[in-house]
Amino acid sequence: MDSALSQAQPPVVASALARRFGKVVALAGVDLSVAAGERLGLVGPDGAGKSTLLQLMAALLDPGAGHCRVLGFDTVREAAKIQARIGYMAQGFTLYERLSVDENLAFAARVRGVTGDTYRERRAALLAMAGLEPFAARRERDLSGGMRKKLALCTNLIHEPPLLLLDEPGLGVDPLSRRELWQMLDGLRARGVTLVVATSYMDEAERCDRVAFLDRGRLLALDTPAALRARAAGTTFTVTRTAGGALPPATLPGVRSIKHLPDRLRVQLEPGRNGSAAQRLLAPLGTVQAVEPDLEDVFTLLAPAGEDAAAAAWPAHPVAAAASAGGIRTVGLTRRYGAFTAVDAVSLDIPPGEIFGLLGANGAGKTTLIKMLCGLERPSAGSATVAGIAVTGARGALHRAVGYMSQRFSLYPDLRVAENLRFFASAQGLSGARARAAIAAAAAESGLDAGDPRRAGSLSGALRQRLALACAVLHRPRVLFLDEPTSGVDPLSRYRFWALIRNLAATGMTVVVTTHYLEEAAFCQRLGLMQRGRLIASGDLATLRAQADLAADAGVEAVFLAHLRQTA
Amino acid sequence: MNARRVAAMLGKESREILRDPITLGVALAMPLIMLLLFGYAISLDVREAPLGVLDLDRSPLSRQLVRRFTDTEYFALAETYTDLHAVEGALRAGSVKLALVIPRGLAQARQRREAPRIQILLDGTYSATANLLGGYARATVAAVGPAAPAIEVRTRVWYNPSLRSVNDVVPGLFGVILMAFPPLLTALAIVREKETGSIQQVFVSPLSGPEFLIGKLLPYGLIAFLQIAMVMAVGFLWFQVPMAGSLALLLAAGGVYVLCTVGLGLLVSTVTESQLIAMLLALIITLMPSFLFSGFLFPIFTMPYALQLYTAIFPARYFVDLSRGVVLKGAGLAELWPNLVLLIGYTAAVFALAAWRFRKKVA
Repeated sequence: MDSALSQAQPPVVASALARRFGKVVALAGVDLSVAAGERLGLVGPDGAGKSTLLQLMAALLDPGAGHCRVLGFDTVREAAKIQARIGYMAQGFTLYERLSVDENLAFAARVRGVTGDTYRERRAALLAMAGLEPFAARRERDLSGGMRKKLALCTNLIHEPPLLLLDEPGLGVDPLSRRELWQMLDGLRARGVTLVVATSYMDEAERCDRVAFLDRGRLLALDTPAALRARAAGTTFTVTRTAGGALPPATLPGVRSIKHLPDRLRVQLEPGRNGSAAQRLLAPLGTVQAVEPDLEDVFTLLAPAGEDAAAAAWPAHPVAAAASAGGIRTVGLTRRYGAFTAVDAVSLDIPPGEIFGLLGANGAGKTTLIKMLCGLERPSAGSATVAGIAVTGARGALHRAVGYMSQRFSLYPDLRVAENLRFFASAQGLSGARARAAIAAAAAESGLDAGDPRRAGSLSGALRQRLALACAVLHRPRVLFLDEPTSGVDPLSRYRFWALIRNLAATGMTVVVTTHYLEEAAFCQRLGLMQRGRLIASGDLATLRAQADLAADAGVEAVFLAHLRQTA
Repeated sequence: MNARRVAAMLGKESREILRDPITLGVALAMPLIMLLLFGYAISLDVREAPLGVLDLDRSPLSRQLVRRFTDTEYFALAETYTDLHAVEGALRAGSVKLALVIPRGLAQARQRREAPRIQILLDGTYSATANLLGGYARATVAAVGPAAPAIEVRTRVWYNPSLRSVNDVVPGLFGVILMAFPPLLTALAIVREKETGSIQQVFVSPLSGPEFLIGKLLPYGLIAFLQIAMVMAVGFLWFQVPMAGSLALLLAAGGVYVLCTVGLGLLVSTVTESQLIAMLLALIITLMPSFLFSGFLFPIFTMPYALQLYTAIFPARYFVDLSRGVVLKGAGLAELWPNLVLLIGYTAAVFALAAWRFRKKVA
């Protein structure tokens, strides 16, 4: 009956769909229809309304205006029928962590009336597909982030839903697991499952049939990835800087954005600019080469300058310079928890002023390594100096020399922007005029309005991230640690964040970053790849490519996977 | 309502509870700890109250009077004084609760068949104790007094003839302890799912709101019933509270009351989004009123009328009343049916409200 219905009409039809939360407009009149078997990607900056749209489709929210039909049912009047049939994977980890893999799956099956042989067959097939069979008895909380997400997907597939809604499935998941997750989704495609997926990964959007671009509740564009890329055609160039060539000014007329990669610039022009005129404009900077745009460029093109307008005017070359620079040196640094070795004999040498990227799967030991270098964890063996200070020595000196921004942006959500800054300044022992000067400098460097009257909890993810950065650099640390600073933030804000990082490094600050967005690795001067606690490779991208016998144009993901395979 | 789905919910919930032995242990141990603490701490009995004496008469009669005081178990001679200033100082310092001032000429007054006068000074900072001590002191003096009264009064205390506080405190605690923990546990169990987001997975499934709530209600109701059974066992066996009425009636009413407390937890969870708020709200609407407005510590009939009406909002009052009636007075259904009917009605209303408030929506 359901399949007959879905043949007759599209699985999702939204008409003038709108919803507000108090004064905030989350979704403002979206018209959208998803065809049977189609894969639709939802992209857009933080607060664009992606999650709200998915929750409206899942009948978890009632629309404020307009209506939505899912599988032929109205989301308000026939919510139960929709919720009984579809699959919906919320953001984050939403399974029962105290239950095992099997128990989570069995619960999902039993509430959906999947029992007996049908259940046993599907269970076997799903666990095999997800590679979770060996872990069937393991508690959910003991799985890696990638496995938890795959299990969540399995629990939503046990009733073979014709429609699957996924909210940021790749968030907090390492590249390898993310690949496996998408392999599972590719398998569903053959079965004609309709898929709507919200994502901040442009490579995930690229895998969709059509991509809907949302901004502040409005649908700005809805097209195939190829057609979207065509909109940015002829606007993207790379500039290979000649040695000793001039630095580009912060803004150029007709130029939408300039991304600074370690070896080149990536320039995007305003649409409609004459290509040859642009080449002339850019020529003084170095060798100009036209390149194919990717979805990230489309994103830059479509996202209108909004609250980030102030941030666009950040100083290209920050005023203050870090006190005295200091790098990082570790020898055989090890951390064990009982029989488990989280970090296994890591030896590193990072010179002052370098941006060093740490890549690795969930649980590879990146966070533990950073915590040891910040003095938050004691090493079990080995030694390390950060800015010339031994991590096992006096904590006070070490804490003054390092800044740390954690995965969760440790801010006080109920304090205002300025109150957060003042608190972290006083925690660093800054007061009076020194505190005010430090706050002003940190806010300027982070592209943040220190007088923003909003509370930290009501800021967008991108602004919260900048506030967290400002709090971490208030005391002018010589070494800055950023643990997944860009998780869940849209591509444009991510890029702007990287521009801030680059400015900080230019003052001599050493920056160590972990990230799951492999394209961001291109912003780092050197990379370290971690696997099961060990540092399996380190060096710049070219060196890593050569070590893995890869072509010069091989992407970061290929390099990452090749090194993992070499050691496996 | 689909039995298989409810069973799935029950199985999942029970497993989660059993996998968290610390919470389960706290849930079972806390009521006992509370019972032991309150059973020993809340005592209105006065024993060996420190007594100060200023005897200015120094006659055989005055010494006899002092001996009458110290011979009882209510008073213990702590200090003696030689002038009135010392008495005042001792009362202010709190070293005595009661001071006996015997003026000069007590014996002579008696010989002249005049009414002799003595003074008793009481520390009234805690009025209930002061009242009791004053009563004991008058009775003690009267026994030495000369004239036989015209009418003999014989007082008999019914229902708790030994006037042991614990006999009255423990049946009241049954009602208070059950309000302290089950609502909190139940509310947290649901709000935790809201916080982790797992509730969204439940919403997008055929599981209905009532099925979800029953799956939460039954396991936590069972824990609450275990709590009441344990608390009763300790009350009757350890504190030796005599049971005058029917244990079956008390357990049955306890069962209804348990459902009511768990239902209040469900209701709290439907209006809160974070565990912290749920905890505060549960404390404010369940634990606090059950202490103050259930008649457990402060008798309701002495409260202002408006406050008496206010106490009617909280179910603890009906159960504390019923529990004391059964345990101390041996009352049965004939006397207590209104309380039971009110409890059942209350429980039904709480469930209806929770089911109505609970929607499979995130906002």
